[in-house]
Amino acid sequence: MDVTIQIIAAFVGSLGYGIIFNVRRGHLISAAFGGMLTWAVYLISAAVTGGIIAPSVIGGAFAAMYAEILARIRKAPANQFLVVSLMPLVPGRALYYTMSCAVQRDWLESRYYGTQTLQYALGIAAGMCLVWAFWDMARKIAEKKRQLQTEKGC
Amino acid sequence: MDSRNKMLNMLLDIGEELLKNGAEVKRVEDTLERMGRAYGAVRMNVFAITSSITVTMAFADDQEVTQMRRIVNSGATDFSRVEDLNGLSRRFCEGTLAAEELQRMIGDEKKKGLSRKRLYLGSIVTAAGMCVFFGGSLADGAAAAAFALLICIMQEKLQPFCANQMIFNLICAFLTGLSIAVLARLVPFLHGDQIMIGDIMLLIPGIAMTNSIKDIMVGDTISGIMRLTESLLWASALACGFMAAVWIVGI
Repeated sequence: MDVTIQIIAAFVGSLGYGIIFNVRRGHLISAAFGGMLTWAVYLISAAVTGGIIAPSVIGGAFAAMYAEILARIRKAPANQFLVVSLMPLVPGRALYYTMSCAVQRDWLESRYYGTQTLQYALGIAAGMCLVWAFWDMARKIAEKKRQLQTEKGC
Repeated sequence: MDSRNKMLNMLLDIGEELLKNGAEVKRVEDTLERMGRAYGAVRMNVFAITSSITVTMAFADDQEVTQMRRIVNSGATDFSRVEDLNGLSRRFCEGTLAAEELQRMIGDEKKKGLSRKRLYLGSIVTAAGMCVFFGGSLADGAAAAAFALLICIMQEKLQPFCANQMIFNLICAFLTGLSIAVLARLVPFLHGDQIMIGDIMLLIPGIAMTNSIKDIMVGDTISGIMRLTESLLWASALACGFMAAVWIVGI
């Protein structure tokens, strides 16, 4: 039940983000849906692998892939889908407790949450980079193939 | 001003609008390069970072035109506009849009203001959603939505008077944190920490961080590092503001 509420909240939160950044109405629902899916993917991979880094990498990679594919289908910039889909992975909670534990001079807890924040951030970045690197490579290979084919055709 | 200079000026207008509204540096450079070539330049040298764009267009008759544009970040992201400009540039490159027509349309585009209603609605929905997402109760979500309104009002009324984004984040976070902490003290069933987490998500520079990582990844190291440093400073100002409030009121 908790998970259902959380996933619905992820959708609502991402939707709001999309509205703030004026994502076009036609893209809004699919962008927010990306946020919801990203969180679902994160939860599933967290259940399988445990920890924070691995699920963040998978979640970040999923969001990047979702954005690129959707951008290709809609013929629209990928960035808007990416930013909205990534929203639920942003470690707002961990960042907050890092600071609030530091204020209470509970350095042990603060360090624990600080490490968590870093793990989220690094994981997401690594996941996105992986997808972009391969996406770029695939695009270039496809282009080369097309070039070769037209040369043969002539 | 001769027509080539005029054209370059227009290209810089497009680049500026793209950068301000949330496009990555790479996309801006790409777009300007393609449009310049479509106009007839044999070589386009485009260098963009988040605070300036420099372009030199070289033509076949050995003439070179250079212009530089300083970008002052407005901070308001508008993806619809990025998409519109993208569409315009694509049509220009395909040759279905004349330069004069493009000039007129960009002028129209610049005049369009931001809709306040959108900002308010989006902030309320985000704060409530994210508060519940991170484990707050529905009542916490409602409170986070109410404080989202406060943040929006400050963004509208206070931001123009702040020296920079960092100062604004600090003041805004402090005032928001203070009112949340006081409310959480008065109303026992509200959780101050959950409400703050929901509202932090509104101020966190998510786009700047995502774009900076993307920039670094594709090789625009300077702009990436610049934006990353900026967004980390903003985030720390944010944290300091909220924590000062928590420290004073104590929750």
